Amino acid sequence: MKLNIEGLLVYFPYDYIYPEQYSYMLELKRTLDAKGHGVLEMPSGTGKTISLLSLIVAYQRAFPLDVTKLIYCSRTVPEIEKVVEELRKLMEFYAKETGERNNFLALALSSRKNLCIHPEILHANIVVYSYHYLLDPKIADLVSKELAKKSVVVFDEAHNIDNVCIDSMSVNITRRTLDRCQNNVDTLQNTIQKIKETDAAKLREEYRRLVEGLKEANVARETDIYLSNPVLPDEILKEAVPGTIRTAEHFVGFLRRFLEYLKSRLRVHHVVQESAPQFLKDIFDKVCIDRKPLRFCAERLQSLLRTLEIADIADFSAVTLISNFATLVSTYSQGFTIIIEPFEDRTPTIANPVLHFSCMDPSIAIKPVFQRFQSVIITSGTLSPLDIYPRILDFRPVTMASFTMTLNTFNVCLCLVALSSKFETREDFAVIRNYGNLLLEMSAVVPDGIVAFFTSYVYMENIVASWYEQGILENIQRNKLIFIETQDAAETSMALEKYQEACENGRGAILLSVARGKVSEGIDFVHHFGRAVIMFGVPYVYTQSRILKARLEYLRDQFQIRENDFLTFDAMRHAAQCVGRAIRGKTDYGLMIFADKRYARADKRGKLPRWIQEHINDGSLNLTVDETVQLSKHFLRQMAQPFRQEDQLGLSLLTLEQLESEEMLQKITQIAHQT
Amino acid sequence: MLLLYFKISPDGKAKIQLQLVLHTGESTTFHFANESSALKDRDATKELLQQLLPKFKKKANKELEEKNRMLQEDPVLFQLYKDLVVSQVISAEEFWANRLGGINNTDPAVVNNKQEVGISGAFLADIRPQTDGCNGLRYNLTADIIESIFRTYPAVKQKYSENVPHNLTEKEFWTRFFQSHYFHRDRINTGTQDIFSECAKQDEKGLKSLVIQGVKNPLVDLLSLEDKTLDEGYGICTTLPSTSNANKTVKESSNSAIIKRFNHHSAMVLAAGSRKGEAPTDQASETSSTDGNSRDSDFFQPPVKKVKLQEAIEYEDLQRENRPKTVALNLKKSDRYAHGPVPLQSQHYTTSQDIINSVNYIRHEMMNYKPNLTEVLSSTAASSAIAALSPGGVLMQAGAQQAINQMVPTEVQGELKHLYVAAGELLRHFWSCFPVNTPFLEEKVMKMKSNLERFQVTKLCPFQEKIQRQYLSTNLTGHLEEMLQTAYSKFHIWQTRRMMRKT
Repeated sequence: MKLNIEGLLVYFPYDYIYPEQYSYMLELKRTLDAKGHGVLEMPSGTGKTISLLSLIVAYQRAFPLDVTKLIYCSRTVPEIEKVVEELRKLMEFYAKETGERNNFLALALSSRKNLCIHPEILHANIVVYSYHYLLDPKIADLVSKELAKKSVVVFDEAHNIDNVCIDSMSVNITRRTLDRCQNNVDTLQNTIQKIKETDAAKLREEYRRLVEGLKEANVARETDIYLSNPVLPDEILKEAVPGTIRTAEHFVGFLRRFLEYLKSRLRVHHVVQESAPQFLKDIFDKVCIDRKPLRFCAERLQSLLRTLEIADIADFSAVTLISNFATLVSTYSQGFTIIIEPFEDRTPTIANPVLHFSCMDPSIAIKPVFQRFQSVIITSGTLSPLDIYPRILDFRPVTMASFTMTLNTFNVCLCLVALSSKFETREDFAVIRNYGNLLLEMSAVVPDGIVAFFTSYVYMENIVASWYEQGILENIQRNKLIFIETQDAAETSMALEKYQEACENGRGAILLSVARGKVSEGIDFVHHFGRAVIMFGVPYVYTQSRILKARLEYLRDQFQIRENDFLTFDAMRHAAQCVGRAIRGKTDYGLMIFADKRYARADKRGKLPRWIQEHINDGSLNLTVDETVQLSKHFLRQMAQPFRQEDQLGLSLLTLEQLESEEMLQKITQIAHQT
Repeated sequence: MLLLYFKISPDGKAKIQLQLVLHTGESTTFHFANESSALKDRDATKELLQQLLPKFKKKANKELEEKNRMLQEDPVLFQLYKDLVVSQVISAEEFWANRLGGINNTDPAVVNNKQEVGISGAFLADIRPQTDGCNGLRYNLTADIIESIFRTYPAVKQKYSENVPHNLTEKEFWTRFFQSHYFHRDRINTGTQDIFSECAKQDEKGLKSLVIQGVKNPLVDLLSLEDKTLDEGYGICTTLPSTSNANKTVKESSNSAIIKRFNHHSAMVLAAGSRKGEAPTDQASETSSTDGNSRDSDFFQPPVKKVKLQEAIEYEDLQRENRPKTVALNLKKSDRYAHGPVPLQSQHYTTSQDIINSVNYIRHEMMNYKPNLTEVLSSTAASSAIAALSPGGVLMQAGAQQAINQMVPTEVQGELKHLYVAAGELLRHFWSCFPVNTPFLEEKVMKMKSNLERFQVTKLCPFQEKIQRQYLSTNLTGHLEEMLQTAYSKFHIWQTRRMMRKT
């Protein structure tokens, strides 16, 4: 159908539309009009992607000078491929309606194997790739540096974007890293020696180019041609390379000294935590390394590798890592912490020292993106509470809205089971048995597939062992086959496929899985692949980690976010991700069971997305196992009735005429929940 | 002749005996008299029977099931069964003799069409051990469970056929099975050598090869989920317990053994259910060759993947309904389709012009139709014919049946019906013996005659007395008696002829 979104002609490749899709497009258009950033939360299965694509493509066609490019970032390879399929569908619709072949160029980068050369990116109207291509400075510099300012950037499935940012800026150094780095440095030395004997002019030329290269970058940044690199600080562009690392030999010598220093730091017997300035002071005191050459380290190494014409840069990953660390630690006095641990907490007898250089501020990696591009859209099914993302990513959105799924009948049955699993009591025999009974009872009631999530892998292992001893698993096997996520991705993939096979052939199966694991983040359980999801416990992050503690402190000091608020927010977004795996559309239905009484508390409930909250009522709170079973039976009987389009039309599904009625437009304005 | 079970005499007894009990209730006792080897012979027979018994059981059960089903589905047959077998007019065997042809004749088509029965996921749960009170464990093992174990774990089956009965007795085999770490998978293989350690290794290998084969559905392939994992050394180090075995506690490795075991068990049960003769590896290798891993280009997307992706982005409710799903015609050589074989005698086909012409002709005929009034019935004759065919008319007089309908109470009617059916069945058996040309038929015809007589005495006569008491017309059973008499006289003729031939 062809839609009129506040005067913009939007081609939408379907015969009907969901009211929330219309509302979503409306908010999106207002964001683009304002040339600002937006945070939009809409549950999965409501056709978010096609709404985004339809509107932005229409906008690009209508205002080719205002928006030149769409950069669509998603998380996993299948998601990227789905976007491409939807785009293809949209383009076919355009061709059919307008009768002319669209000259839109869309480009998908879905693996580093087929890393695209950047001139093509420059000409494409739409680029679809993974977050890392934009957020990880190591790749962004290669791929995304020259993307036009007038681009619209979309981060889909963005609920974990803060972690992606942090990951891309954090570095871990082990003894193995340093050993490999030592080898790298030796190789560099030998290569330099050889070149010096055969082609000394090359090194002189390199030196000249290095200075010019930085000057060029400075010009580009000032004239706003490039996406800036957070690893490349502004200051060094204006300064000359310090004399200590000016020649190739000096630089290698410098690297050696730095390496020796790092080795000495790893020879600790107790945990050390310090800030970047403390680290810089220590390195100056001990080996007289100044801050300035450290800051040039990454850039200087790149230049050297280019000069030496080294083909396989991957061999030099260790020395690259070390020099990236050197630049980062000397550039950012805030937002990072250094923790040196001599051994793993669980195995204090085995020495395995690690230096963690951890980024605690996700805004550092994403800052260039917000600065450079005129509109950045953060969207996902779970972004609640909405205001937390602008705070931790440090940007000012012009729109923030949450949309719910409109339904004629509820296709979700939400149960909050009053079981306890506080950390102190969760090893308790009774708790484990209650969990087991809940799963056993549900396995007898729910058809086809059930997915159960645990708070951590170790916890799941222990519970499975207890259930085995208590004979619970054997009783469950009378109803369904059991498959369990393991830490081996290939093994889990096979279990997943077998699980689907068992759902498909009618035998029915249960998948035991882990929140924050790969399954919870990347696999959908549509229709009969997931008729019930059970979340056992509240998936808090492992709070004993020093890195997390440092991050929490930072959040408190810098953003005034209370420790507990952040932890609960983080646990709830993962819980919502888990239970949301089973409902992937309006024709889908399923049970969502939160098996922990803490979910009933206001601070937890309030942080769940609206599309979950609206299913919570007095009847679904503090249930016993028996009540849950009764409720489920009733719900499943209702859901067994045929699903008809007529019942949906006019309520949760609209024709063009229905959409254009005054009354409906009035209703639609209420779908978007602004904050 | 189906064996139900067998008994043996206790070991200490002087007489060494073996008793077979058949399904029919009959039993035969064998006495092993050869003094030197009696016990050995008996035990050998026992072993053999033990192995054969499950087969008999299956067959017997199948037959019983089939008979049961026939009786349930056919009320007339059931009544007949009651009338003839339960009241002991004829024996059950005679009754089924020529009805169950299809079951006993192991018609391959029938047997093969039998639906495969899957395996319960919890079959191992059904052998929960019970303590026998004196420091031992008792496992209850049935033929079904043994079959489930064999189907799920082919490696165990192989061990069984290798070792039983040459090296181990059946009992010893299963005792060792339940003692092995293989059965108790939470126990770690401590290196003890039992015959099942090899099974565990084979399982491990099987699991590995399954994992290496990879998955067919790219959407569940966790390995290719992420576009770009961070390079080594980057990222927040999540405190995942290291996976190396060296620093795993016993408890941890036991836990992961359980998890592995459940995944393997479920996969095997699933595979056993879908396995039908062909090796599952064939199928897997075939599909993996068709969907390859060519992710390099969009144009070479494997078909499985394309389909899965399109399924994933489909919003069926956003599309208009009533679009019948059609299958696209997939022509390998379209020119062959366009130039198919041409019929030689195309002039025999009716052209559309011919059809139009004939339609016009018929229309023309209809328009000019004039009834030939001289050759129709006179109105009086027509009305009397209608009257005769109306209810109450001459041709619609109620027959004798209607009289019975009204004269005889329904319950008596029902009884009469049953008698007719039963008599018909017996007579069918009787007449099917003629011409009597084998000794078997001779014997049968004699038996059937006495059956008929018994029927007359035990069934027909009481019925006659009953209707007499109720003052109903006795000629209700006249026809039945007539039929019996005909049979009797046939029998007499045959008998006298036989006598004459003999003398």
